[in-house]
Amino acid sequence: MFFKISLLLALAVCAAGLAHKIWSWLTISIDKDDCQYPPGRRLAATLSELGRAVFSGRLGAMLRALVLEGFLQMRSLGHSRTAWLAHVCIFIGFTGLLLFHALGAQLTATLFSGYYPTLDPWLLLRDLLGVMVLVGVGLIIYRRLTVQGLRRITSTTDRMAIVFITVVLLSGFALQALKITSATSFESMQKEYAGLSAPRELHALRSAWAEDYGVIFAPGQTSRDAEVLALGRKLSEDNCVDCHAPAQHAFASYALAAVMRPLALTLDGLQAPQILYYVHFLSCFIGLALLPFTKFLHMVSGPLLLMTNAAVDRKTMDPAARATLRALEMDACSHCGTCTVHCSVAVTVHRIHNQDILPSEKLSALATMVRGSNGDRNHLAQIREGAYTCTNCYRCTRLCPLGINLNDLWVALKRNLYHEGFGDPYQEVAQRSQKAAEQSRSSDTVHVVSGGFQHGLKLSAQAGTFSGCYSCRQCTNACPLVFMSERPNESLDLLPHQVMYSLGLGLKKEAMGARLVWNCLTCYQCQEACPNLVQVTDILYELRYLAAKAASGLEA
Amino acid sequence: MRFALFAGCQVPNFAPQYETSSRLVLKKLGIKLTKVEFNCCGYPLRHQHFNSYLLAAARNLALAEAKGLDILTLCKCCLGSLKRAQSFLAHNPDLMAAVKRELAEEGLAFNGTAQVKHLQTVLHQDVGLERLSDLVVRQMKGLRIATLYGCHALRPSRVTGFDNPYSPHLIDELLEVIGAESVPWAGKLKCCGAPLREKNEVLSLSIINQRFKEVGEAGADVLNVDCSHTLLQIKWAFKMLWPRSVELLKGVVLYPQLLGLAMGIAPEDLDLDENRPRAGFLSNYLAPRTPVSPEENSLVKRLSDHYI
Repeated sequence: MFFKISLLLALAVCAAGLAHKIWSWLTISIDKDDCQYPPGRRLAATLSELGRAVFSGRLGAMLRALVLEGFLQMRSLGHSRTAWLAHVCIFIGFTGLLLFHALGAQLTATLFSGYYPTLDPWLLLRDLLGVMVLVGVGLIIYRRLTVQGLRRITSTTDRMAIVFITVVLLSGFALQALKITSATSFESMQKEYAGLSAPRELHALRSAWAEDYGVIFAPGQTSRDAEVLALGRKLSEDNCVDCHAPAQHAFASYALAAVMRPLALTLDGLQAPQILYYVHFLSCFIGLALLPFTKFLHMVSGPLLLMTNAAVDRKTMDPAARATLRALEMDACSHCGTCTVHCSVAVTVHRIHNQDILPSEKLSALATMVRGSNGDRNHLAQIREGAYTCTNCYRCTRLCPLGINLNDLWVALKRNLYHEGFGDPYQEVAQRSQKAAEQSRSSDTVHVVSGGFQHGLKLSAQAGTFSGCYSCRQCTNACPLVFMSERPNESLDLLPHQVMYSLGLGLKKEAMGARLVWNCLTCYQCQEACPNLVQVTDILYELRYLAAKAASGLEA
Repeated sequence: MRFALFAGCQVPNFAPQYETSSRLVLKKLGIKLTKVEFNCCGYPLRHQHFNSYLLAAARNLALAEAKGLDILTLCKCCLGSLKRAQSFLAHNPDLMAAVKRELAEEGLAFNGTAQVKHLQTVLHQDVGLERLSDLVVRQMKGLRIATLYGCHALRPSRVTGFDNPYSPHLIDELLEVIGAESVPWAGKLKCCGAPLREKNEVLSLSIINQRFKEVGEAGADVLNVDCSHTLLQIKWAFKMLWPRSVELLKGVVLYPQLLGLAMGIAPEDLDLDENRPRAGFLSNYLAPRTPVSPEENSLVKRLSDHYI
């Protein structure tokens, strides 16, 4: 009764959660432009896109994607065999357990006559599948601990998921192990199926089961006498064997039972099998109920996404359907970290200390943003830094095992940030610096800073080489910006030699705010032309970097 | 000869033909490439965070060093970025120590032994013009090519060491090997405007427009570039400046594509039509190789052809 109620409850929560998720795929807008499509329009567009794909002969490609990319995870085989093996172990193990164990009575029994969970191959299969899942989980833990970058992003949710699967699996194995050793189970089964009453026969059957099946009885209840065992085995043959494969075939549980042997009697007395049974099925039900709200959702959203990707062309599809697809992508991420491990700029987090640079974390940030909780402006500034540190190399999109088009989402993220007042940081810093320079120019006093700032320009190969400038203007003559401009003095504020000279005078704001600095092409013609080895281009680079640094300091 | 191929962030996705044609050509030359998963060369990070730039560049150098290989880059901005970082680190022991410490955490030893070379340097210096010439079976007869050397390869010349920054000849000689003519033109050593593409569109466009005009004035049949940023810049600008751009620029081509054609690789394998503007028409210029008389090949003849 309790089992049924809790199962129904879990199913209800799961169904409600999935319905909520599907609704969110039709309502959440990843890109600001997606807002214009109401849920009905999105649903219609999505269904018609899929319908068109199915009827134009793309069903084969969809099924292929489901099997090869979904079930067999061929996408991860190319970059990590460990990850691939882990997924395949867990997928096969988990699906097998669901079909042949959890749904054994409902599904397997109707498909295979003579199904009985304690008979082979089911008894053996159950342990085999369970061990596969455990091996998969072990591989995942190994990867999370050893792969560079993966450890850094492993979140509490990831750990909880691993702990959760382990609890389900271990409680199952322990339950099976305790059942093997349990005298109480033996007695109740015996009463129900054999119904022996003669003490001699009972003694014999117990002895045989203690010897052959590993049941642990209280001392004195069994014997190892050959004659007794022979009688017991005969009785077992008549009454039990039809429904019982040798307990040793549940190899993992039997091994566990052997380990627990000294405690078996005590545990049996404490009704441990009963307790474990509750732990096992309740943990499964909790998992079922939480599926739509955790990363386990990728079991549903992942295959959906992979099949949709195989069916439609993202570029030409109906934008309303694309809005749905993007929302689905947010829920497809399993936080496996593949994108982050291979990210071209992941190395910068050693120096910038901003986790939102990493694709997996940036995706989480985007997810919180579109769900309406923007957080404070500092957090938005942090997300922006992540968004703009990307080099658009598409590795994350190419490698995502679930086929999430991350680069498309990054474009949406930048647009969202722009709407929140967080545009391209380069432009912002440039404008800020130019404004400061303008103010400084328009005031009557000259703001000469001390040598501290000049000393700060030390990253270029030869610190402070600007002091070697004797204003010969070779740099200015070489500069393509000066060449392109009709009145360079007006459009660039300062010419290259003037920037160098300003630095010599300590005019920090004027130098940093010159439009020349912010429009520099970094073609190095000025630096090459300098007869006195002033590192002109490198210094212009450095001025921009110092302004960016000062600006990020203001935000933090 | 073996190198670690540094394809960069843009090539695999936006210009895969650059990588495939380079691989085909290098394979013919017996140069082996090792796959290393490099990170960003640091170039786009330099404005934003100097220290990250250095670390990113140094990590690439360390990855190559761990394999005992030198780096072969396809992109000239990657080349410049890595080379500049190398020299920054060589001149600043404090920066070097910090980078070493951080890379050591990852188990990477960094001593700066790995060299960085652009594909064209490898072809010119490591392979050599003679050997290239031996493998050329067809010539690009009468093809007039304007070549853009690329700022970040040429300059700062003390750091990059690519060629003479004022009168380079490396690419001209490579073009000569395949029987094409490198035309003198005004923009040869100048900037393509790519660094400003996302920062100041108008200015960026007017700079590349200037290059287009110069190519048109020189009457070149095709523009040769060997830098992924320039390639993308041209693709973008060609579209933006359409239809005027069509009159000025007939096609853009990468050197490995040209060399591949001359070596007898099938034009369809070199994906010439993946370039924007397309360069598929170049296969029309292919002609059987004719022996060159010593007199015709003399320095005086070559100089007079060009300048008199």
